[in-house]
Amino acid sequence: MNQDTTKLSRRNFFKAGTVLASGVAIASALTPYDGLLFAAESPGAKGKWYGIGIDINKCIGCGKCANACKQENNVPKDPFYFRSWVEQYTIKNDGSILVESPSGGVNGFTQSVPDNEIYKSFFVPKMCNHCAKSPCTQVCPVGATFETEEGIVLVDEKYCIGCRYCVQACPYGCRYIHPEKGTADKCTLCFHRLKHGLQPACFEICPTEARIFGDLNDPGSKLNYFLKNHNCMVVKPHLNTGSKLFYNALSPEVR
Amino acid sequence: MEDHLQNLYEVLSKVEGYVYPNEIELNWSILIVLYPYITGLVAGAFILASLERIFKIKVLKPTYGIALLTAFSFMLVATMPLVSHLGKPLRAYEIMITPHSSSAMAIFGFVYLWYLMVVLFLEIWFDYRRDMVIWGNESKGVKRFLYKLLSLWTTDISPKAVALDDRIGYIVTVIGIPSAFLLHGYVGFIFGSIKANPWWSTVLMPVIFLFSAMVSGIALVMLIYIVLTKVRKQLIDMECLDTIAKYLFYILVIDFALEGLDQIHRIYVAEESFEALHKLVFGKLFYTLFIYQGLLGTVVPLLTLGTLQFYKPKASIRKIIYIILPVLVLMGIFFMRWNVVIGGQLFSKSFYGYTTFKTGLIGMEGYLMAATWLIIPFLILSFLLWLLPPWNKIETSHE
Amino acid sequence: MPQHIKRLISVFAIFIVLFLVMRQVLKPSSFGKLGHFRADAIYENTLKPMHYTIADSCTKCHKSVRAEKDKGFHKRLKCEVCHGPGLKHSLFAEQFKGKELPDSLKLYKPGERKDCGVCHQKNAARIKIQFDTINTTMVHQIDLAEHNPPDLKANEPANCIDCHNPHQP
Repeated sequence: MNQDTTKLSRRNFFKAGTVLASGVAIASALTPYDGLLFAAESPGAKGKWYGIGIDINKCIGCGKCANACKQENNVPKDPFYFRSWVEQYTIKNDGSILVESPSGGVNGFTQSVPDNEIYKSFFVPKMCNHCAKSPCTQVCPVGATFETEEGIVLVDEKYCIGCRYCVQACPYGCRYIHPEKGTADKCTLCFHRLKHGLQPACFEICPTEARIFGDLNDPGSKLNYFLKNHNCMVVKPHLNTGSKLFYNALSPEVR
Repeated sequence: MEDHLQNLYEVLSKVEGYVYPNEIELNWSILIVLYPYITGLVAGAFILASLERIFKIKVLKPTYGIALLTAFSFMLVATMPLVSHLGKPLRAYEIMITPHSSSAMAIFGFVYLWYLMVVLFLEIWFDYRRDMVIWGNESKGVKRFLYKLLSLWTTDISPKAVALDDRIGYIVTVIGIPSAFLLHGYVGFIFGSIKANPWWSTVLMPVIFLFSAMVSGIALVMLIYIVLTKVRKQLIDMECLDTIAKYLFYILVIDFALEGLDQIHRIYVAEESFEALHKLVFGKLFYTLFIYQGLLGTVVPLLTLGTLQFYKPKASIRKIIYIILPVLVLMGIFFMRWNVVIGGQLFSKSFYGYTTFKTGLIGMEGYLMAATWLIIPFLILSFLLWLLPPWNKIETSHE
Repeated sequence: MPQHIKRLISVFAIFIVLFLVMRQVLKPSSFGKLGHFRADAIYENTLKPMHYTIADSCTKCHKSVRAEKDKGFHKRLKCEVCHGPGLKHSLFAEQFKGKELPDSLKLYKPGERKDCGVCHQKNAARIKIQFDTINTTMVHQIDLAEHNPPDLKANEPANCIDCHNPHQP
């Protein structure tokens, strides 16, 4: 009798456990990540899913990308509005870290620390990370910014109310309010060029091919080759933004 | 536009260390400081009113009507700083027609309308309906029309109808308390939910906002009550003021404890952002945080009010204290909002540098605009007090 | 139900109905088709004007320069890296063959020390650069202050292109 109940309860336990486990499994398979919260679906198997790779070892800090971005997208010339910019990190022998980005690097860089004081120095090009769980899209109160099915975060400048919440929410400082339009503005990955089969301007122009653009869903893409052969990292991974901007040789000082 | 750019170039020359180029401009300026400040005053004033009505603290009776009308006047203006800081103010309606469910800001329109129309408007309406019917019959001209309009041309003031009004008003107040908590806790969440900003991103933010809101609202009603009684040449009800001061003390203690907890936690866990924030707090925020908010706005009122719980000086001295303290508290809470909103944007999210706050006197985001939105609620309040004087109401005991 | 409650409810009802009607009227037609945004905005984002062209469009006219460049260190550089955005330039040339280019469409011809220095000025962050191509090992690093400094007496700075052919440096 006693044994029977034990068996029974054990069987029940297994039954319940299986049901529970499969329920959890099915639920997590169905909603790997709350799609309701975001405009676009999470990366699917089909279609394009754009990502960006930047090889810090190859960047020579010419600032051509930042410059090209300003010209291609009619970004205001003043040094407060950038969709793409370059930073120079200089770690001195005394351990202090100097970060510079004169005018976002559009006119290049001049070394400001003498060689003998430098422990190491490198350039970091910055731009919108086109996060898959983008905080800026999450906070837009009216749905004026969204992720396309290719994973590009765009702004609807005819619908944006200019509340600037997205500017606050972007951990990477990649958004600004366009001084003339009064609406949020950001990198579109040159969406207007992509539709003609062209690369974004900053990728097109990079003289050292430090910037790699491609489809993460295409196993044969240049970007996937780059990601497979380098140890890549995103900036601020602890924020779980689903960043799709991968850096090779990213130093921990970069924020 | 040109001024704006000139301003930015000046700020650029004052940047310390490195900030992302897009961060040189402070996106949320003085108007966004006002927004949580004004909303806080609303929530606080309402809580004080409901202390009388729900918790039956009868000594607070003289401030009940004033508190309600204060809350209502400030509520009418609460959205204006927000709307006027928008890049495209004419598109503000979009937040109501296509609210984005994942955005902490999107639901504001609905929370606001709920609180304004369902809580404050209904409570005042049911509270004043009988009086408006009577006053409407007694007065002439525009005033008569206003009373008739506001009472929706109703006439029924039988004891049964009045009892029903009182009953519904009570229910509305009961709903109102969680709504007030929701309203201001929610405003705190707008900041607390920004994970990109370590100065804002804390779960305590909504609670801190809530209690600081109560503190500021209670202080405001206290001040308005004293000023109004003086203007009307009436006798100040010291027992009422003592009780308000007691509640102000309690809530100030909670507020202080919460903010202290938040800071202690930050210091103890000392995350990635710690050094940057430490420098910010002892640098650009030193005066606004330690002197205005901390010392003058919190510690001095706390000690004074604490002392008053044990030792009561004579009424004339207490009266002076009750005028100075609310001013200090109101200033302290203003700078609390300032430290959150402006302070949260002064450091770079790269934690490598700091930008500067600079705004002009005029312009959409200038000091004059901000002052306007602070003065208008008082004008509305004066109008409401003229139209619906709480001291002329027929005495009813809320059951 | 007492009369005043009825009136109050009708006032609220009117406001709610008005709100719902306004919502229907004001909501953009393409809103919500693909998610919580205006689907038309995707298309509108593709309409932005382009400024940078693609490499091949230059070669249509400047064949010899291309051939020259292909032999030198700069062979992997696209023309617009140094000359700036050239879409309007190439479109005009294509449309009005042989016609004189208006000044506004003429592209930048760099050659001053600051132009070349953007890539070649010695910088601690540049030295490590290794290219995985056969011919190049690094971007040449020149200390512009020391390398053939401008003749101060003549008051005429020596430009890089005085000695180097930028297409075949």
